Parts: sequence; structure tokens; C-alpha cells
Amino acid sequence: MVTGIATTAVAGCDRVPSADEPINQAQRRFETRCRNQTAAGFLFTFARAIPMTARIPAGMRYYIGAEARLRRTIEDTAMSVFAAWSFEEVITPSVDYYDLFEQGMGQTEAQRGFRFTDNDGRLLALRPDVTSSVARMAATLLSERPRPLRFCYAAPVFRQQTQSHAEWRRENTQLGCELIGVGGHDADLEVLRLAAEILARLDLQANYCITINNVEIFNGVAASLSLPATAREQLRRLIDTRETAELQRFLAEYPESEARAFLQPTQLTGKREVLDAARKAIANERSAAALDSLERLWTALESLGLADCFEIDLSDVSSLDYYTGLSLKVFVRGAGTSVGRGGRYDGLTGNFGRPEPAVGFVLNLDALTEVLARRTRNDS
Amino acid sequence: MITIALAKGRMQDDALALLARAGVRLDEEARNSRRLALSDESGKYRFVFVKPADVPVYVEHGIADCGVVGRDVLLESQADLLLPLDLGIARCRIVVAAADAEIMTKSLGMLRVATKYSQIARAHFGARGIPVEIIQLSGSVELAPALGLADLIVDLVETGRTLRENGLTVVEEITRSTGRLVVNRASYQLKSEAINELVQALEAALNGGRQA
Repeated sequence: MVTGIATTAVAGCDRVPSADEPINQAQRRFETRCRNQTAAGFLFTFARAIPMTARIPAGMRYYIGAEARLRRTIEDTAMSVFAAWSFEEVITPSVDYYDLFEQGMGQTEAQRGFRFTDNDGRLLALRPDVTSSVARMAATLLSERPRPLRFCYAAPVFRQQTQSHAEWRRENTQLGCELIGVGGHDADLEVLRLAAEILARLDLQANYCITINNVEIFNGVAASLSLPATAREQLRRLIDTRETAELQRFLAEYPESEARAFLQPTQLTGKREVLDAARKAIANERSAAALDSLERLWTALESLGLADCFEIDLSDVSSLDYYTGLSLKVFVRGAGTSVGRGGRYDGLTGNFGRPEPAVGFVLNLDALTEVLARRTRNDS
Repeated sequence: MITIALAKGRMQDDALALLARAGVRLDEEARNSRRLALSDESGKYRFVFVKPADVPVYVEHGIADCGVVGRDVLLESQADLLLPLDLGIARCRIVVAAADAEIMTKSLGMLRVATKYSQIARAHFGARGIPVEIIQLSGSVELAPALGLADLIVDLVETGRTLRENGLTVVEEITRSTGRLVVNRASYQLKSEAINELVQALEAALNGGRQA
């Protein structure tokens, strides 16, 4: 209806923001202009509506000038730390078969991918994660290569966001690494140290916290209760959101069980004492082995002088179906949600025909950029 | 400093009274002022007063570390938050109500449901396999059946008086709601000491209240 006018409205972008202009100022000017145009549009019975090309889809954004440079620096810093630890860069296809991601991430997560069809009608997706693709590569293309494999990447991933309000971006760049073909304590410790080193190199020392857990602690307890799937999911959710009152009501049906360990969900986070408390309630073999492994990791972190930057969080049970041992989350002061996550996923490469242990993590480059950009602004 | 987002309105006075019992006090002058952001007497806490539906938004983004808000609002927002405490304030029920209490068993066609709580309503009827058309309203929901806009409503009920006076009866209860303490996931890790102190103080105040 108004295509003719559309071009004039685009041409109305009179000034190109200079490289050093604070980004938010430039953005604000753009937004004001859009608003004015909308108002004008209403006045002239939609004759000057905003042209489609001026709009950006929800959850997408530009980086310009100082912010783009900062983002690049963060990416370079992380990639140089990965390289120093002998991680080789891998660039995976941006578009792949949807099936790959369903096998790699599980159906619920994969469905958040942007999907479309190939010429032959097969379903494709814009990659919603990189790990799936790396795992397939390790199991197929590189099946003959000697282990361990160490890969790192800086790559955008695309996910539809409908639920969460705080994590609304649909394009995020992941800085990630995968250590494939070696299990156990040393590999777990390697990726934890790697994550800590990147955050320290980004000047976030004393401003970050990495929480660690072993999902087998919960899995062992759930198995000892022989819970049906829906009750297990309910228990998981109550621990994850730390709903004390509901959780206690739920566990009242299992009074003498090991689930007592989760009765006070606000006391499952802390340092070594958390493990001691859990041991008093938990005796099943599966959970005990997981507690041992977590304790060994904690002892190692203590001796490296990293205990201040880490916390044990036995209530981190958010993605039980994906991780098989260690799970970790990264929090940074100034960000309202976690800026990174990872763990051990020994079950993943088996989906592609070559079962072997694997561990890794990703950091969200966009979230880190936002935190550090805000800090630079506040300092100046 | 810990920032606490409080839902304005129905819950505000109860929440402030409970916080005062837990040792977090706003002085008289501050409480009577119309400022939307206030500090408590100790200077350890800052309060922001926002619309109930905005509490989960502020807390999920980490702009506020904690919040006090009804479970009804949380169910509707589906925000990703920690919910460590049930504060037991502003108790109410979320119900399905209609002029004709038997309408759900009588009707096999599409029912029209007017509500402020479209997520809760959709989940409730969806789980039971009842086809409904949701009509989103922002207030005076009780009017909708009388005027013919909807067959049913889903709404909060405290005493049931508003329902009765508008010729409606409760068909079924969906769930109960009380005021909750909600906590941002990142704040919970990064300010764990201060947050735990608040949680424990509130817990003590709640238990003290129960014994008295």
C-alpha cells in the first residue's frame, strides 16, 4: 500500500553514527526517529508507516563502533586462551539437517531452532548449537584420529525465544570448547580451569562465580525412590526453582528416603560443607560415586586457589537429560542470567555411532559484551 | 545492596508488614511518600514498587535481586526464577466461574473464556482437553458473562463476594495463590550471603508468626 513512500523514510536516516559515539545514544536517536515516524503514520492515515526494511526482527541486533571492537576483543581473548590450551578451532556449517540437532540436543531444545526445508523436502535448521555438529564430526569424519580431540569455536547460534523474558535474543554467539575422548577427573578439571582463565583474562576476577554439580547425585536419589517419570520431573522442577514449601510437601510422602538431602533447597549451594551435608542423607552407590567425584574436583580447585570463584550447587538440576556427570553454570556480576554453561555429556557421541566421553562449555559472547560495555561506560 | 521489587496494591501492605517483622523496615516518611524507589532504615535494602505483572520481569532481568509477588502472576508470566519462600500473604484462589454451574458438562462445543490469566486458563482447559476460546481482558472480568462476551471466566477470588453479586458461581478451582518471595538466579549465586540472610530472616518471621 505504501511501498512508494517506504524508500523516502529509509532515506530519512540522515546521520551515520560515528565510530566512537556511544552506541546507546545512536540507538536512542534511531528509536526516537522510528517513533516520530509512527506518530506521523497515524496522523496521515498510515501514509507514512515504517517501511519493513527499517525494522529489525525481535531478538536481533547491530554492533557498531566501540561496542563491536569490545566484542571482537572478548572473542579474541577467549580464542587465544583456548589456543594456549591446545584447542583447535573448528568452523561448523551454519545450516544443517534438523535431525542432527534433535539427536544432539533433544527434541525440546532443537525445536527452538529456525527450521526450513531443503530442495528435496528434508527439514533443515539454522544451527541452534555447535556441540551437536562437533560431536557428529568426531564420531564420523574424525573417527580414526587419535584421542583426545580438543576443539573450540566462536560461532553464532539461533534459537526462537518465546518463554523467557530475560534471555530474549534469538542470535547469540557462543565461545565454546569440547574435549572429546577422555573422561574422568582430569578432563573435567581442564575445562573448569579453562573457563576460569578466560573470565580472569577478561578482568572479571572476583566478579564471576562458576557453579558446579554432578547430575548423577540427583539421578541416583530419584532412582532409589523409583519415581515415575512425571513425579521425577516434578521433583526436579521443585529443586531447580527451590520451592521449599512445595518440595517439603512432595517429600513428605517419602519420609525416610534419601531425598531428605533436598529438603532445604536453599542450603544446597556453598562450598565443601554442602557435600558433607549431602553425604549424611545419601547412601546409594550411584549418588555416592558422584559425590566422591565432585569432592575430588573441589579439592583440586581448592589447591589451585580457585575455590573463591567456584561454588557447589547441588540444586542445579536444570538439564538432566543432556548431561551425564559434571554440570556447570557461569554467572557474572552485572548479568541477570547465567552467561555460560556446560558439563559432561558422555551419551552424545553415541547418537552418531561412536560412544565416548566428552566434556565442554560455552560462554555467551553477547552477554559478556553487554556486561563489559556497561562497565566501561560506568568507569568513564 | 539488595533490591527488592514489591507488587503494588493488594499485597503491598502485607508484604511490608512481614518484611518489618523480619527486620527490614521502611520509615514512616518513606512509606507515605510517592517515590517509587526507597531505601530501608539500615541502607542494606532498596525497594522498588511496580505493577504486579512487572515484578517477575524486573527480577528475571536481575534489575531487582528479589521480589514479592503472587503465585497467580508467576504462573501467568512463566518467568525463570527461584521461588524459595511461600510468604502466606494475600491468599486467594484462581477459579473457573460461570452463571450456570453446569455449563462445562452440558456444553460440548467451543466455550468462550474471559480472563486476565490467559496462560493459566489455556493450560487448565488444555490439560483437560476442553476446547476454549480465550478472550483476554484487563479488568472487571465478572461482567463478561452477564453481557454475553463469554460463557466462563477464570479469575482470582478472595471472598467470592464480587462473583456472587454479579450472579456467578464457582465451577471449579484451578489452583491456590499466595505471595511468594522470588529471587533472580544470578543474584542468588553472586550475592548469596545477603540473599540467604533475607531468606532466613523472613523464614524466622513466618515461623514466629505461626507460633504466636
